Amino acid sequence: MIESLTDHFARIDANPYAWPFDGEWSPGDTALLLLGFQSGIVRGLAAEAERDVAIRLIEAARRRGLAIIASRRGQDREGGAIARRRAALGDEVSTKGSLDWQFDDGISLPATAIVIDHAGDNAFFGTGLEDILRRRTIRNLLVTGLPTDGLVHATQRAANDMGFECLTVIDACKGTSAARHDAQLRITTFGNGLFGAIASAAAVETALGNHQE
Amino acid sequence: MSNVSTATFWPLGGTVSKTGIALIIIDMQIDFCAAGGWVDQLGEDVSNTRSVIGPIAEALAAARAAGLTVIHTREGHHPDLSDLNANKQWRTRRHGLGIGDMGKTGRILVRGEPGWQIIPELTPIDGEIVIDKPGKSSFHRTDLAEQLERLGISRLVVTGVTSDCCVQSTIRDGFEHGIECVLLEDCTAAVETRNHEATLEILRAFGGRWGGVADRTAFAAMLETADD
Repeated sequence: MIESLTDHFARIDANPYAWPFDGEWSPGDTALLLLGFQSGIVRGLAAEAERDVAIRLIEAARRRGLAIIASRRGQDREGGAIARRRAALGDEVSTKGSLDWQFDDGISLPATAIVIDHAGDNAFFGTGLEDILRRRTIRNLLVTGLPTDGLVHATQRAANDMGFECLTVIDACKGTSAARHDAQLRITTFGNGLFGAIASAAAVETALGNHQE
Repeated sequence: MSNVSTATFWPLGGTVSKTGIALIIIDMQIDFCAAGGWVDQLGEDVSNTRSVIGPIAEALAAARAAGLTVIHTREGHHPDLSDLNANKQWRTRRHGLGIGDMGKTGRILVRGEPGWQIIPELTPIDGEIVIDKPGKSSFHRTDLAEQLERLGISRLVVTGVTSDCCVQSTIRDGFEHGIECVLLEDCTAAVETRNHEATLEILRAFGGRWGGVADRTAFAAMLETADD
């Protein structure tokens, strides 16, 4: 059987186990999750390289027919409890509609992409994202985003409790420091993958049959 | 009238009434932190998780004396495992003994089994809230958020195990719910010290972005000065 003719992808070479756990992943049950690739966050973390990896993954996901879901952290003009708490600690959440809140210029989403707006770090909290995934029978999530110790880890923890099989794409994420990025990935993989597995974008692309040498 | 102790204990400061504060003790169960429990049967070292039993007992005594709401959580699954995610069971079975399997303390992390019970040193007393949770976060598929709202509680003092896993998930979800959380660092531990220390560093960063970090001495001092 020729790999490109089958609906099922090969397992991804990941740590601490070849992902997904049961080998079941296909365009119909997998989504690429892009968290917080917004102008203000990309600039604030100097995450242009990680953004460029995400752009490659969007193209690969689009070509292979994976669902694409992008989240934006933002506050309403009148504010909110989470935004006020963040502001008091020196972490301003961009106001919806502002330039910093927009997706980064390099992030070009297909018309079929689903956009989720959230106020905190967890893209599931109060957004209906879980319902969207269940209705589309998505059970596997390729997780990318900014920062690793914020949106990425909060969202992946929630997804994991819900039973979604998660893979953090390590070079498509950046932390508020390198140490925090590394630490969250280490905690993710502890105990045979407490919160899922981790892999490089190249490993994901290889499994998608889309790797460019 | 709140003074400097209450203002510095909570990252956002503010006026504090004891009626708005709860102490939560996460997953101090035999399977996680007693000799013969699940983690011990896996050959992992339970000395870290056991080391916080005494400090938590002290924090619990202070909370009880101050009349705070006390919440205990237990991670566990229904006997038919209908609330156990397939990947969670698969990952734990890779240890050689997974959730739902029969071990020396009964079926691992199954509700009602001996290993699932809270350790005797920290047994809940009448009137304290016990939350049974199937996930890492104490808020996931539980009525914790509703109970806190009903009781008018907006601040959680967090203790228990493990810091990198269920404790961190609970604090992150508490933040999303608008609950001000403070972790007592001498009342929490992880199996691995490295992950424990990284968790504390992440929580402390930016002045407590998701919640603050303090210790049981500061907790007792805060209670001394909090309003009734």
